Amino acid sequence: MQLPVLNNVPEAKSGCAASSCGSTDSQIDSLPDAIREKVQNHPCYSEDAHHYFARMHVAVAPACNIQCHYCNRKYDCANESRPGVVSEVLTPDQAVKKTMAVAANIPQMTVLGIAGPGDPLANPEKTFETFRRLSEEAPDIKLCVSTNGLALPAAVEELAKHNIDHVTITINCVDPEIGAKIYPWIFWNNRRIKGVKAAKILIEQQQKGLEMLIAKGILVKVNSVMIPGINDEHLAEVSRVVKSKGAFLHNVMPLIAEAEHGTFYGVMGQRGPTPEELQDLQDSCSGDMNMMRHCRQCRADAVGMLGEDRGDEFTLDKIEDMDIDYQAAMEKRKVIHAAIQEEMDSKRLEKAQKAEAQKQAERMTTRPVLMAVATSGQGVINVHFGHAKEFLIYEASPSGVRFISHRKADAYCSGDISCGETESTLQRTIHSLAGCEAVLCSKVGYEPWEMLEKAGIMPNGEHAMENIEDAVMAVYREMAKAGKLTAENAPIRASA
Amino acid sequence: MAVKIIESCVNCFACLPVCPSNAIYEAKPHFLVDAKKCTECEGAFADFQCASICPIEGAILNSFGEEINPAGSLTGIPPEKMAEAMAELQAH
Ligand code: SF4
Ligand code: SF4
Repeated sequence: MQLPVLNNVPEAKSGCAASSCGSTDSQIDSLPDAIREKVQNHPCYSEDAHHYFARMHVAVAPACNIQCHYCNRKYDCANESRPGVVSEVLTPDQAVKKTMAVAANIPQMTVLGIAGPGDPLANPEKTFETFRRLSEEAPDIKLCVSTNGLALPAAVEELAKHNIDHVTITINCVDPEIGAKIYPWIFWNNRRIKGVKAAKILIEQQQKGLEMLIAKGILVKVNSVMIPGINDEHLAEVSRVVKSKGAFLHNVMPLIAEAEHGTFYGVMGQRGPTPEELQDLQDSCSGDMNMMRHCRQCRADAVGMLGEDRGDEFTLDKIEDMDIDYQAAMEKRKVIHAAIQEEMDSKRLEKAQKAEAQKQAERMTTRPVLMAVATSGQGVINVHFGHAKEFLIYEASPSGVRFISHRKADAYCSGDISCGETESTLQRTIHSLAGCEAVLCSKVGYEPWEMLEKAGIMPNGEHAMENIEDAVMAVYREMAKAGKLTAENAPIRASA
Repeated sequence: MAVKIIESCVNCFACLPVCPSNAIYEAKPHFLVDAKKCTECEGAFADFQCASICPIEGAILNSFGEEINPAGSLTGIPPEKMAEAMAELQAH
């Protein structure tokens, strides 16, 4: 399937669709300059930048104008970067204070987003007041907003005024029949509207909003929640449509549904996708998808680097006591950002040189292999297998090492018979590594070692504190030498 | 004649700006309707605006004390299914 990244740059990902694409950065490199400029240091879009820069979200928008079957307004939403309404909702004034306090204390924080707890554009006054003040008082912070799209067309003019450069629209379908299975109702023109009619209006508004934003030159990212049996097969079509209209990237996230969330899907037993199903879909939508593979579905009030939350350091009573001199903070931030930029540039250069050297070296003809890595950041293997809350999945192949995705250690239960109540955390963790042939960590205990081997995943603790990509390549070479990588030796993938 | 917001309200603010009579106000532990101001949207809209956007089943009652959005009407979850799931969770 041919999926152009942007309609005006049909060649953008040529040579990149196959599994041989060098790295996530080359995905970014293929974007038009203006867009690349904007995203290459953005922690949510650039795989290497997210090791250095941080984002935060403020919850200023409690109201919502639609209902999704994966959401329960009472609790934190696991799917859409949204805390529940019971979490601390801030006034615009508090949000501005908090943002500046965080920016002064965590200079790496460069992106402020509003994503909830409801729909930011269903709370236009609060959302825009926050943006307006921040663009005046903290001009060195990038602003972004996520929306379900229903109120988007009416908000585009205002968004353009506040100079917001990223908008994320959650688009789960472009077919109202499918939409009716995802959205039970919307509030539109003073009425609650249900069923296919509601989905049709929502889809029309989303698409119209997307087109209007593109026409204004505002970057648009599209998020989709992958719901097996509902929209999983449809998402390739969604991808095609939104990219042809100019969305610069499409991010597919797995449905998270548990009965205790009290959501329609949770209670009705709708399952989420397995890590393999998710990866297969991401592969089939290929191209720029790579840029978001490190997405952690962070919460709307999260603070810090991706996958980390330092929100507790910045509660309302604590920021009330902080005295922030933002001018001074901005000077300090500038110096630190420049230093980070320098380090990132040199690492990027080094990586490009390595890739080049790799190309020059003897061509291997071995098959690609997936490996899991336990890390807490800084690009090195530094976490004990048993302590890993998440694994980064890399693919090694003759053309190099590329980052594929991030998997939670024991969050996935695919609902099949091997995953009953008796399954231990360890078993679930091993289950979540399905498809991988090796796991690299700083150390592995005896019991997990045996179970991993039994599951066909080779444990490896020999590369502690080493650079991830070098270590993955080294292990790959060892496997190749041992003759494990001929086509006949391919693992049987469990995603039947 | 007035509607009433009860304790299952989650304070999501959705109803506040849509009320044509300015009858809804923020209060602790939950939002409230000023019965003197509420017009039941008469003359302004065909449906109660607050109850048309409220996401919580049972949170708003009509003047007869009946739930305007009864269990299952908004989420689509059959009440017995919900009870079953909750009982199951309790058991663990
Ligand atoms: S019924 Fe109408 S007038 Fe009364 S509180 Fe609700 S929205 Fe306001
Ligand atoms: S919309 Fe419903 S839940 Fe939200 S504040 Fe109003 S009454 Fe409470």
